[in-house]
Amino acid sequence: MDTAAATLDADLVDHRADGRRRGGAERATVRARVLDATVRCVARWGVAKTTLDDVARQAGCSRATVYRVVPGGKAALLEAAAEAELATLLERIAEAFDRSATLEDLLAGGLSTAAEALRSHEALTYLLRHEPATVLSGVAFDALDPLLETAAGFAAPWLEVYLPPEQAAEVAEWLTRLVVLYSLDLDGSGPDLADPAEAARFVRTYVMPGLEASRSPKRTTDPTITTAPQE
Amino acid sequence: MADPADTRTRLLTAALHCFEVEGLRATSLEDVARAAGMSRATVYRHFPGGREQLVADTITWEVGRFLARLGHALVGERDLFGQLSVGLWWGHQAIGEHRLLQRILATEPEEFIVGFADADALLQGEVHGHLRALLETTELRSGVDRDEAADYLTRMFLSHLASHGRWDLSDRAEVERLVRTQFLAGVL
Repeated sequence: MDTAAATLDADLVDHRADGRRRGGAERATVRARVLDATVRCVARWGVAKTTLDDVARQAGCSRATVYRVVPGGKAALLEAAAEAELATLLERIAEAFDRSATLEDLLAGGLSTAAEALRSHEALTYLLRHEPATVLSGVAFDALDPLLETAAGFAAPWLEVYLPPEQAAEVAEWLTRLVVLYSLDLDGSGPDLADPAEAARFVRTYVMPGLEASRSPKRTTDPTITTAPQE
Repeated sequence: MADPADTRTRLLTAALHCFEVEGLRATSLEDVARAAGMSRATVYRHFPGGREQLVADTITWEVGRFLARLGHALVGERDLFGQLSVGLWWGHQAIGEHRLLQRILATEPEEFIVGFADADALLQGEVHGHLRALLETTELRSGVDRDEAADYLTRMFLSHLASHGRWDLSDRAEVERLVRTQFLAGVL
């Protein structure tokens, strides 16, 4: 951990020299470093014990800089860090989606990529173990709805290659639920969706038949639903 | 001497009342003792873990009552499809109409989630046990594992009950379409 921190600080020194040349880009980069430092602190100490001083020290900057790049104090910092982590997760899922050749591939790849990313996420794992309410209150009851909507909007372009928009949105929501349902409990029951083969089996067993079932009543009137990419 | 079960029910009822008025965080054991017309010592005897236990036990008690009403609503639904559909439809409505729950979720979500852990375990256990028993007498698709299917259906059922997402669960036809496709198509 200390090696990682030292590397980060060394990077920051490089970056500062850089920033003087590139000016405007600096703020965004410093912000990213502050958010990354926040996640590292949470992975080590949790939400309750992490202070702005910890974050500043970890990011190799002053408290004033932390305030400048993310105004609003600790709550705002944690929220911005969570948003940045979600964006990173979505980028990784997008890469998995891009690699897929069929709908089944797409669903299984998205599922296993998300499950693996969440399982190996140190801050998330720490919180689920020691301060579960900080995570679970964000996905419990109505709090899950915005996440479902974000995920559906995000996945739509890929799913709509195979499915009509309405069904694509339903499947995106379904997939998001599966990620939340199987990745956010630590009791280890249920299939290991981080394993690509298990994710593929799971998709074949539960998801593909569901897609079949939603198209069967409309088969004669709605030929747009296919399981192969539409040209 | 009063029946301990009665005393406990009175205390839990009083706790619910206090949560209505004060919220979870601001309710003290003294408040509950006063509302129930009992001594502080009695409250502590029933909830030796203090306020945290009071909150957790009250939520669990309320969830137990929810499950009893759910069981009643399911009488007459013989198969998996009927049980899941009616369960979702009825449960969604009951949760939406629970004003105290809705208010606490809006005002003290973290406090609620901390107190909800035991109730969550009860919910998962009861729903899983119920579905697992139903699956025992249901013919499944070849290759489907009964335990995994029960686990899958339990998670899906509770997830939709808590967050309906884009589904209108007050519409029976919508609920049935959801259950037929996302819940059961791979299982039956």
